Amino acid sequence: MAVIHDMMPAFELFQPTSIADTLTLLGRYRGDAWVMAGGLDSFDWLKDRIKRPRYVVDIGGVAELKGIRASGAGLEIGAGTTLTEVVRHPVVKEKFGILLEAAEAAASPQIRNQGTIGGNVSQDTRCWYYRAGWSCYRAGGNICYADTPTAINREHAIFDADRCVAVSPSDTAPALIALDAKMVIRNLEGERVVDAENYFIGPGIDITRMNILQPGDLLTAIRIPDTWAGAQFYFEKIADRKVWDFPLVNVASAMVANQSAIQRIRLALNGVAAHPKRLVEVEAAVTGKPRNEQTAEMAGRLAIAGAQPLQHNGYKLPLVKNLVKRAIRGVEGSWTS
Amino acid sequence: MAEYKLIGKNYTTPDLVAKVTGKAKYAEDYRAEGMLFCKLLLSPMPHARVRNIDAREALAMPGVKAILTADELPPPPPPPAPPPGQPAVTQPPNENALTNEPVYQGEPILAVAAVDETTAADAIERIVLDLEPLPFAVDPLDSLRPNGPNARLEGNTYINRELKSLKWTEKDFSDATDGRLPMGEAPDTFSIGDLEAGFKQADLVLDETFLTQSTTHHPLETRTAMATWQNGKLHLYCSTQSTVQTVGNVARWVGIKPEDVVLISEFTGGGFGSKIPGSQTMAIPALLSKKTGQPVMMRISREEEHYIGRARAGVQARARVGFRKDGRITAIDVFTIQDSGPYGAQGDYRNVGIMASLAFQPMAMRWRGVTVLTNTPPRAPQRAPGGQQMNGIFDPIVSKAARKLGIDQVEIRRVNAPSGKATFGPPDPKTGKQGYVTSAFVREALDKGAELFGWEAKKQYSGKRRGSKARGIGVSVSPFNAGSTGFDGLLIIRPDGMLQVQSGVGNLGTHSVIDVTRVAAEMLDMPWDRCEVQFGNTSKHLPWTCVSAGSQTTHAMTRANYAAAMDAKKKLQEIAAKDLGGRAEDYDIGNQRVFRKGSPGSGLTFAQAARRAIQLGGVYDGHELPKDINAFTTRSATALAGTGLMGVARDNYPHDGNTLSHVVAFAEVEVDVETGALRIVEYATVADVGTVLHPHSLSGQVFGGSMLGIGHAISQRWLYDRQYGMPLAKRFHYNGPPTILDAPANVKFAALNIADPETPVGARGVGESPVGAGYAAILTALADALGDDVFRRTPVTPDLILASLELGHGSHDALTTNV
Amino acid sequence: MDFLTWGRSPWGEWILTHVSWDLLWASIFAGVVFLVAHASYMVLSAHRKREAHEADALERSLPGLPERIPKHSLAARLFHWIMAVAMFVLLLTAFLPIVGIRFPWVQWHWMAGLLLTASILFHIVHATFWLDFWSIWVGPKDIPEFKAEVLREFGHDVPGPKPGKYPLGNRLYHTVIVVAGLLVVATGLVMMKRVHTPFFTRNPYLFGDATWGVTYVLHGTAGVALVGLVIAHVYFAVRPEKWWITKGMIVGWITRRQYLEHHEPSRWAIARSSASPNRPGPAV
Repeated sequence: MAVIHDMMPAFELFQPTSIADTLTLLGRYRGDAWVMAGGLDSFDWLKDRIKRPRYVVDIGGVAELKGIRASGAGLEIGAGTTLTEVVRHPVVKEKFGILLEAAEAAASPQIRNQGTIGGNVSQDTRCWYYRAGWSCYRAGGNICYADTPTAINREHAIFDADRCVAVSPSDTAPALIALDAKMVIRNLEGERVVDAENYFIGPGIDITRMNILQPGDLLTAIRIPDTWAGAQFYFEKIADRKVWDFPLVNVASAMVANQSAIQRIRLALNGVAAHPKRLVEVEAAVTGKPRNEQTAEMAGRLAIAGAQPLQHNGYKLPLVKNLVKRAIRGVEGSWTS
Repeated sequence: MAEYKLIGKNYTTPDLVAKVTGKAKYAEDYRAEGMLFCKLLLSPMPHARVRNIDAREALAMPGVKAILTADELPPPPPPPAPPPGQPAVTQPPNENALTNEPVYQGEPILAVAAVDETTAADAIERIVLDLEPLPFAVDPLDSLRPNGPNARLEGNTYINRELKSLKWTEKDFSDATDGRLPMGEAPDTFSIGDLEAGFKQADLVLDETFLTQSTTHHPLETRTAMATWQNGKLHLYCSTQSTVQTVGNVARWVGIKPEDVVLISEFTGGGFGSKIPGSQTMAIPALLSKKTGQPVMMRISREEEHYIGRARAGVQARARVGFRKDGRITAIDVFTIQDSGPYGAQGDYRNVGIMASLAFQPMAMRWRGVTVLTNTPPRAPQRAPGGQQMNGIFDPIVSKAARKLGIDQVEIRRVNAPSGKATFGPPDPKTGKQGYVTSAFVREALDKGAELFGWEAKKQYSGKRRGSKARGIGVSVSPFNAGSTGFDGLLIIRPDGMLQVQSGVGNLGTHSVIDVTRVAAEMLDMPWDRCEVQFGNTSKHLPWTCVSAGSQTTHAMTRANYAAAMDAKKKLQEIAAKDLGGRAEDYDIGNQRVFRKGSPGSGLTFAQAARRAIQLGGVYDGHELPKDINAFTTRSATALAGTGLMGVARDNYPHDGNTLSHVVAFAEVEVDVETGALRIVEYATVADVGTVLHPHSLSGQVFGGSMLGIGHAISQRWLYDRQYGMPLAKRFHYNGPPTILDAPANVKFAALNIADPETPVGARGVGESPVGAGYAAILTALADALGDDVFRRTPVTPDLILASLELGHGSHDALTTNV
Repeated sequence: MDFLTWGRSPWGEWILTHVSWDLLWASIFAGVVFLVAHASYMVLSAHRKREAHEADALERSLPGLPERIPKHSLAARLFHWIMAVAMFVLLLTAFLPIVGIRFPWVQWHWMAGLLLTASILFHIVHATFWLDFWSIWVGPKDIPEFKAEVLREFGHDVPGPKPGKYPLGNRLYHTVIVVAGLLVVATGLVMMKRVHTPFFTRNPYLFGDATWGVTYVLHGTAGVALVGLVIAHVYFAVRPEKWWITKGMIVGWITRRQYLEHHEPSRWAIARSSASPNRPGPAV
């Protein structure tokens, strides 16, 4: 079979308008169904004829999945809400500025108008070997092309690689973990709510998926509790380009600190493993410590403990170290503007 | 300088509204009754031989109309006869639209036409190819190693235009240490002056290795084409840089006569050198259309464009440069290895030497080079081919020397700057003399640029750090070719009094297709709203025109249009003299009239003169044509004969020297040394390009070219998996051309606007020089901020900066390309 | 059912990637079928130990046999149980994810594989220099025993040689296990080049696609075979009439009576002593 890209093969398209109908479809077609929201990840796969679902369920028309609303003590963001809507929402800006920064750091303005927050956290890795359709571990094969003596793996994992060295590309994921967000997942059996950090899985658990969604499941909303509202936030993304690029590494932290010490903190990275990585040890180590250079230095060192660089991504160690330092102690702004 | 009414003034080009409203029709926008679509089957291997194609299942599918294989293409033309007394050149098979021996992954093997693209793609999937893998190379140095693979069965390099196998010795490789480029046998060389003597005069000698990356051209519009046949003529709707000059190639690729080609390319979404003569693949829809009797559209995807869309040749270079204490360059000894792709050799590596000899005017110089074939997509000149690479290789060395010698970065470039009719390039083998430029005002440009940029004020921040932020400033002088001569102009003064200028220039986004015709209007004193420009369609009868490439157009076609306008003026005067008495010289033109000198109200209107021209016939309305114009112009002029007063002429104006333009650029960067993130704070350029034709389009060209260079400096990459010889960064978000947000925050621009003395209007081209200027201004600024030895290759991405600063080595082996 | 799975190389060529995991189910199925069939059959099959009077006679002819007949030295037992643990870890880490129980298994798998390799190396050295090397192997001299065993399996109470130290079935099993075990270990060690370990630089290009394909297929075939073999082994170990053998593998000795009832003293000579008949002698 010769390979051809850039031409979507035929499939059966469903465009449900309610969550109930969506779940019915997903329940009916299970593993044969492909959930498509903004389409920015999906179209790549479909046009390249690499993923070939029989049924595509386009949830773009499900109004219930869209919008941001108050939910108990916090916010509930529909999974189908676009990144632009997240960026522009006044409560997000007021209480959860880190999410605004992370959402705004993603992709490009055009993509943010189309891409959803549910899609941003659930998207597949951008490992170019895998995306090119090479039959690697993640594609069901038994080889990782990105970790060989001649591989180009500047963008790949330094943590928790288990055969596959791909990384999660999401910019919003570490921010959601820092905010202790909850992911609301529904299927025909009912609803379950999981912590953001547990939504993501590494290749050790399942080498072909990046999150816990099973066939039939739908991420319907993301709830952000008020726990970290108005905390001191830090988000920084390092990428090759200022726009339309995935992170080489990004960092997100939410911190409550007074003059003498860091009282509580949540800290997460992405671009370093197949899942966004919460730095629990660093959080524990800096809690109760003064917010200063020394603590930041210690946090930075601790953050890279156990990292295993590949041939070309050794720079991610100093990068992670420096970003974590900055998340603790902050950084001065640009010199020239 | 002459006072012009149109030249040097801003205006809205007539094609602009269609572009910004989306009404412009690019090749992909055309439709025809019964149109089929075709899709390509691309080679999955970097080098292979097609043993068998089994398309039975595909052809049996409903809706599948035809398949086209390499066997059905017209044979490539025979190699040119060797010069007397020299052996015949054994050429590798010329690149054709389809092949049975793919020499790079992604090379088209066959095409299928079907009623729609989905069917065509489904059919491609059902074709069973039997391929025999052949040895391949994707890195030039790998191919030069003692037992290294050759990209082609015939060899890996050209020696005296002949494809040969060249291998260096182990010693050649082991002699090079510390990441320096090994220098084995180099078949190509030129020398200027006494190199030894040059180095003897030097107070400082630097020996540096630098790698510039190959990059795909990736114009926004891919090379889509649609073909249909009417009355035995091929109508080809395509995307090309050069309207007229593409016709002959299409004829050759399809196997028909040029007269039987109607080429339509009204709008082209960029080319950057990748579509200079069109593309071989345009033959595919043409031949499939012939085979099926139906129109065929071939849409090219972004990934396909990466494969067939041409690329810049990456150059690995090692340069020894000698400096006197005052910064004057006494000697340059440069060694270059060029990644030439799988087909013909490119000129980039040689241009590295030629342009260095101009930009820095070394007292002595030697250039050596080897061009190595690789199984990567075919190369073509990309905007400043070799010029851009030269700036990347040399400007960081010159800036490093300035720091070592305690000289200002601008000053060291002033000291070495070309001036006036500056000499450059290899000496002529017969006369021993070097060529020279028509004019160069680089010192003036440097002075103006330093002032515009505020160089003196910014020097206090040079190399300084505050917190994690390091600032740096840089400067570059970039020369490049900027004009040719000898093409034809063709225009009609119509009986309705309108001036109709025929423009065979491609409409590739530079405005030159229209800008050059303003010269004709200016010379005939026509108001712009009484002018019409015909372009983009050879059935509109266009004159023989230069390729829209090599920054030739502005120079070549202002001359040709000037010549046609002068011819028309002469005919107007003659007609007036015939009808109103006196001699032709007694008449002048102006205000759309030809009148007796001193009485502007007398004489004939242009409309009247046009009607008279038609009555008179002969030379006046194009029934008799000059003998020295190109046959292409003769055909077009013959078709237009009798429609008005015809101005038609070849550019026979004298021209002393080689036409080159210079652009100087200044940049300020801020680098975060904790993250490797960089920001271009300010960027300023000054163009020494002769008379300014159209200020808006000039600044657009300068910034567009600069951005291409900036992209090469900071983000754009070309990545290969060496195990399988396959590219990884094929689409935009992987190969990373710069985005608008990567553009400098503040940009400033000025042009010297000093007319070139060797051409009628004084205008030269500008497309290419800004590329190297932007590239190296950023690189020298980065080196100023970070230190001299932080990077030795481009693009300089955050990983490279961090790995170098924090880990003490680069992210990659010093000499490996395509990483 | 497919026996092999195929993938595509980046060049689009078909490459062998593995055995089909359908074979796992086949192996489990085969193991269970054998187990059920054997268990049902055993209800009918003939007793194979010596009659009491024969054993008595034998005992009288061999005075001075210790009460506890040493069978497995501590080292041999350690090897066996370490190997058993490694084998279980290997099989569980290999096959649980395949049947849908997901966990990070790779590191446990190769670590257990190294343990298995080390224990096998130890065993080879130990068996070569310290044990009766040939006692476990099968050869032409076993044909009479084989005939007798087969007849007994079919319910005939025939005379014939009793086993030496290791019953024939035991030795046949050992032979199969040696083949499967060495295959799985040899291929597994090579496959460690394909994953990240502290020992090598990862290099999946060590071999070509075809060689890797064969390696994976051998590893997989041996692996699924081991599933069936282990089922059978465990089954025999827990069968009541075999329990004495299992116990011997735990404590290292069998009773004199068991020795006399089940073994051929001429094929497994035990040092006799009148001094301390109850102490286990050195293993031979």
